[in-house]
Amino acid sequence: MTAPRGEGTGDGNVALFELPDELAIDTAVAQRVIEGFIRGQLRQAGFERAVLALSGGIDSALVAYLVASAIGPERLLCVLMPYRTSSPDSKADAEAVVHALGCASEVVDITPMVDGYFGVDSDASALRRGNFAARMRMSVVYDRSVTWSGLVVGTSNKTEGLIGYTTIFGDNASAFNPIGDLYKSQVRQLAVAMGVPTTIIRKAPSADLWPGQTDEGEGGFSYPMLDRLLFWRIDKRRSIEEMEALGFDRATVERVDRMVATSEFKRQVPPIAKLGPRTSGIDYLYPRRRPGSARG
Amino acid sequence: MNRVRIALAQLAPKLGALEDNLERHRAVLAEARERGANLIVFPELGLTGYLLQDLAADVAMRLDDPRLAPLLAETHGVSAVVSFVEESADHRLFIAAALVEDGQIRHVHRKLFLPTYGLFDERRFFAAGDLLRAVPSSLGAGIGLAVCEDFWHLAVPQVLALDGAQILINVSSSPGRDLASTNEVGLGTATSWRTMMRTYAQLTTSFVVFCNRVGVDESISFWGGSEVIAPNGEALFSAPLYEEGLFTVDVSLGDVRRERIALPLLRDERPELHVRELQRIVDERAGLGPVDTTAEPGAEPGLDIAPLAPLTTPLER
Repeated sequence: MTAPRGEGTGDGNVALFELPDELAIDTAVAQRVIEGFIRGQLRQAGFERAVLALSGGIDSALVAYLVASAIGPERLLCVLMPYRTSSPDSKADAEAVVHALGCASEVVDITPMVDGYFGVDSDASALRRGNFAARMRMSVVYDRSVTWSGLVVGTSNKTEGLIGYTTIFGDNASAFNPIGDLYKSQVRQLAVAMGVPTTIIRKAPSADLWPGQTDEGEGGFSYPMLDRLLFWRIDKRRSIEEMEALGFDRATVERVDRMVATSEFKRQVPPIAKLGPRTSGIDYLYPRRRPGSARG
Repeated sequence: MNRVRIALAQLAPKLGALEDNLERHRAVLAEARERGANLIVFPELGLTGYLLQDLAADVAMRLDDPRLAPLLAETHGVSAVVSFVEESADHRLFIAAALVEDGQIRHVHRKLFLPTYGLFDERRFFAAGDLLRAVPSSLGAGIGLAVCEDFWHLAVPQVLALDGAQILINVSSSPGRDLASTNEVGLGTATSWRTMMRTYAQLTTSFVVFCNRVGVDESISFWGGSEVIAPNGEALFSAPLYEEGLFTVDVSLGDVRRERIALPLLRDERPELHVRELQRIVDERAGLGPVDTTAEPGAEPGLDIAPLAPLTTPLER
């Protein structure tokens, strides 16, 4: 049901990752659509440049490749924002992306910002520190949006968006998101097609909020399984019984269902109490990009 | 005229920018005329962009709107299909496609089926049209106009062909989605449309002309892939996906005659049978018909098949 992918990329017969058959996309079409989307978003907003937070992971690396291909690397600023506990490999991998693309980059150490709030010996939980760090990175990249005169490009994928493995107003904040409808497996497939460095594709995905953390370790899932589960359950509208018939464990399906439901708020604009005749998002409905909405 | 040069204007309209789009249409019309086109087809809402929401009222035009005049003037000696938001005298807003010839609007088709499901929300902002008519054209062939979702309803191409259309024209703003690699050209939407258009061309033994826009409105990317299909179901031309362009295709209207003589499906259609059976179904659904002798016990009015679990009490209507 799944096939190893990535042969012929200089690694002999070693598969780079596992791609479930039903999730395989035509990467040329995907690249075409996404790059058109990126250009459209910038043009309609009156911007020519883009900025993103580059972590050293596959999601932001892929987005950097897509943006560079869509508008040229000279119009892209990648901001690297390590914290004192971040893996040195993350920074090295991010630098490899910057080097390969030839785009502008900056390093902003967020340690003083995070530690200035919590204090070095705080007993704040890893969750609080992780969320705070994500929001500091958001603050920095939005500030650089002004100095670079570029729109902030989002780098969250569909899998983490659906299960809510994201910090609201942190890593999920952006002006637009080119890969938010691609599952992790599809991100990997497109990353291979676009030539993202093999070390980045191969390493275990991690929020890098503490040493040794991995997404799959923390969630107790493998991405190929989780992607397939979400694809059949959400995109293909299968019932729990039908999921069991497809071979999924009922308890796992129910657990993922709960994660999706409890994170609904992270995927939506906060509700406004309806009082007046016309209310944004309810009965005042305009496209965000329309005549007069572009800067300048 | 036996030979018709069709120009497909696979454009990316600017959302809500009526003046810009009008100017672009005029320029493209002029270019198509220079290239010898007889029939120039623009996509659905080419003059306004698709995802208008509350902007629809701002860009709506009456048919006598003076802003249309320069565009109409560009159609001397040719036939063109243009699409915009039409406001009726009673201030309903329609997604309209107009056949324009020699500076005159010959016919306006108001989109009949407004998708309001999935990523679509058209019924919220627009009124649905009520008329489905084929119209004669100066090309020497009957024209049947339809807008996007209209083609997802089987009766539309059939009625147009029975009413005399030999060229079925569908103008679309079709959002590309379902990017699975198993799909033809990598796109589920394209697979569905291509299947439909070839089937309709063959079953109505008519030309099918499909003009779909490209470009991006908000989250949506429109996939293009405009086509011309011959009356035997063969694709004569397929435009590239996601790419703007003005594409010309020469067709011979003699193909319609040849196909309809070889394969007289339209001759053998039974519209009176359709009317009779459809009227019966309409009556039964409304609870107006005589006893439905073909229905299973427990079936809802108008449906012959009973639910899997029989209702404990019969439905009262």
